[in-house]
Amino acid sequence: MGRIVLDKVSKSFDKIQVIPPLDLTIEDGEFTVFVGPSGCGKSTLLRMIAGLEDLSAGTIFVDNEDVTQISPSKRGLAMVFQSYALYPHMTVRKNIAFPLRMKKMDQVEIDKRVEAAAKSLNLSDYLERKPGQLSGGQRQRVAIGRAIVRDPLAFLFDEPLSNLDAALRVGMRLEIAEMHKRMNTTMIYVTHDQVEAMTMADKIVVLRAGIIEQIGSPLNLYHKPKNIFVAGFIGSPKMNIFSGPTAEKFNAYYVGIRPEHTTVSMSEGSWKGRVGVAEHLGSDTFIHVHDTGLQDVITVRINGDISVKNGDAIFLTPQIEQIHKFDAQGLRIE
Amino acid sequence: MSNRVLPRLLQTPAVLLLLGWMVVPLGMTLYFSLIRYVLNSLRRPEWTSPSLSNWRGFGNYEYVLNSKDFLFAIQNSLFIVCSILFLTVVLGVMIAVLINKSFPGQGIVRVLLISPFFVMPAVNAVLWINMILDPVLGLQGIAVAGINNILEVLTNWPILGGFFSLWPEFEPMSFRATQTSAIAVITMVTWQWTPFAVLIFMTSLQSEDQQQKEAAILDGAGAWSQFRFLTLPHLARPIAIVVMIQAIFHLSLYAEIEIVSRGNGNKNLPYLIGEFSNNNIGAASATGIFAVILANIVAIFLLRLVGKALMD
Repeated sequence: MGRIVLDKVSKSFDKIQVIPPLDLTIEDGEFTVFVGPSGCGKSTLLRMIAGLEDLSAGTIFVDNEDVTQISPSKRGLAMVFQSYALYPHMTVRKNIAFPLRMKKMDQVEIDKRVEAAAKSLNLSDYLERKPGQLSGGQRQRVAIGRAIVRDPLAFLFDEPLSNLDAALRVGMRLEIAEMHKRMNTTMIYVTHDQVEAMTMADKIVVLRAGIIEQIGSPLNLYHKPKNIFVAGFIGSPKMNIFSGPTAEKFNAYYVGIRPEHTTVSMSEGSWKGRVGVAEHLGSDTFIHVHDTGLQDVITVRINGDISVKNGDAIFLTPQIEQIHKFDAQGLRIE
Repeated sequence: MSNRVLPRLLQTPAVLLLLGWMVVPLGMTLYFSLIRYVLNSLRRPEWTSPSLSNWRGFGNYEYVLNSKDFLFAIQNSLFIVCSILFLTVVLGVMIAVLINKSFPGQGIVRVLLISPFFVMPAVNAVLWINMILDPVLGLQGIAVAGINNILEVLTNWPILGGFFSLWPEFEPMSFRATQTSAIAVITMVTWQWTPFAVLIFMTSLQSEDQQQKEAAILDGAGAWSQFRFLTLPHLARPIAIVVMIQAIFHLSLYAEIEIVSRGNGNKNLPYLIGEFSNNNIGAASATGIFAVILANIVAIFLLRLVGKALMD
């Protein structure tokens, strides 16, 4: 079991409140991602759950037990750090065994658990090496192994993939998602990368300046962003957002249209513009359109090949039913 | 190839200078240790100038080995060096860990801690032996007298007085005596060199990875386990450096030994060399060669020991 409940949890450094009182429930077995721009308090929140930061006020429950005053190691949570935080002078085996050794567990049992964890993470051949002799991905696996052997109620990941290169990141993302499916343990995952959030999460918590902007499933956030911040943060490339006369036509203060919900034509359409940069990804093409008279640049996303080049005239037509409307406060209008 | 000649040429003066610096004194020591060479001899005036015709082979070495102070001096050198190393490293680690936490007045405390290192060795020795360790005038004498006064007051207590009257009167210790002068030297040098260890360990502690500590906290490591399994291995290299440098320095202790007891009951190899060189340069040189060998053995042995104990 691993149901984590935050009840009016807040955090202040000196007199600056970084996290105003906040309520959140993470159900057992759920993969929850905290996502938000840097400095939004998502790491602080995770460290508060882990017990590495004190709470200024509020209560944290793990499985209905108040753990607010309980030491980090007794909360039954395991954490994986961005910098891996491996013990550099210990071998991989000793690194993974460390939490068990601290529990004074029987050596036979320790060996059994370490071997099992190493096998599931493809680390069996590296057990006698030191962290310095491993690649970034292997180091991250060792850090995960050190978390797994503890058999925790929940895993906490603090931007675990940020130090890996792009290709490895995609691979590790999958591995962590598969690990979650296999173990069915609660996981809380902090990232600033909305792609990681979208691909892995059961539930995404979007944070800004310590405030929860929206909680929901990835597709829920994508289709029904609660406000203009979430609309702009979720989705890549970013949603195009307009205000002024364009928005007034729809009886809204702001309107947004995602790049993939715009029809492109070379001959006719609602908005005429000029092609700036066209990014050809093979499967998709992102076109940055200038001089539409609406805003600086509109990004559109179209499937496959299209032969446009810088300076070409282009016509865009938004799909009316896909337009998101927001009021003057930036809140969604249904 | 030709483009390498110029750099080599430019390096030459420095290399030659360094070589001369090492080779010439070592060569002269070796040479003197193999001939009869004394400063003053009425009976054999030809021995007073170094010459190959006074060849003695390993005679000087034999003479030194058989002299009554030689084994004692080696033993005592090792005793003093190892004691100082042990104390400075243990105290240094403890103090460095202590002041690594932030507290008000940290800056001043750090400067004060380093200050003993700026005292000259001879001054250090004079201050300690006269002002602190002296059985009459030093702090030690005053403290012992004070304790005895308190004891005397307690003895006059109505009921418990009988119990206290069973206690012996404390006697101040002389640190110039045969048995204790080495302890005096160890104390004063430890005081002076602990700051050096603290300084090195402190800089190293500041580069310790904080996330590793947090990971260890989550893994259930208490304060002691964090120290034992993270901090101490992290300090292994600086400890090796401190041990190495201090071993070299303290094998050549001289001023403190001279000032505390003039070598009475407390000779080390450099002091023995000093005594021989009052007249017998040949024997002094032979002792010098022994000292070089001893220094190398100690350095290698200690480094292995420290490396093995901590890197495990």
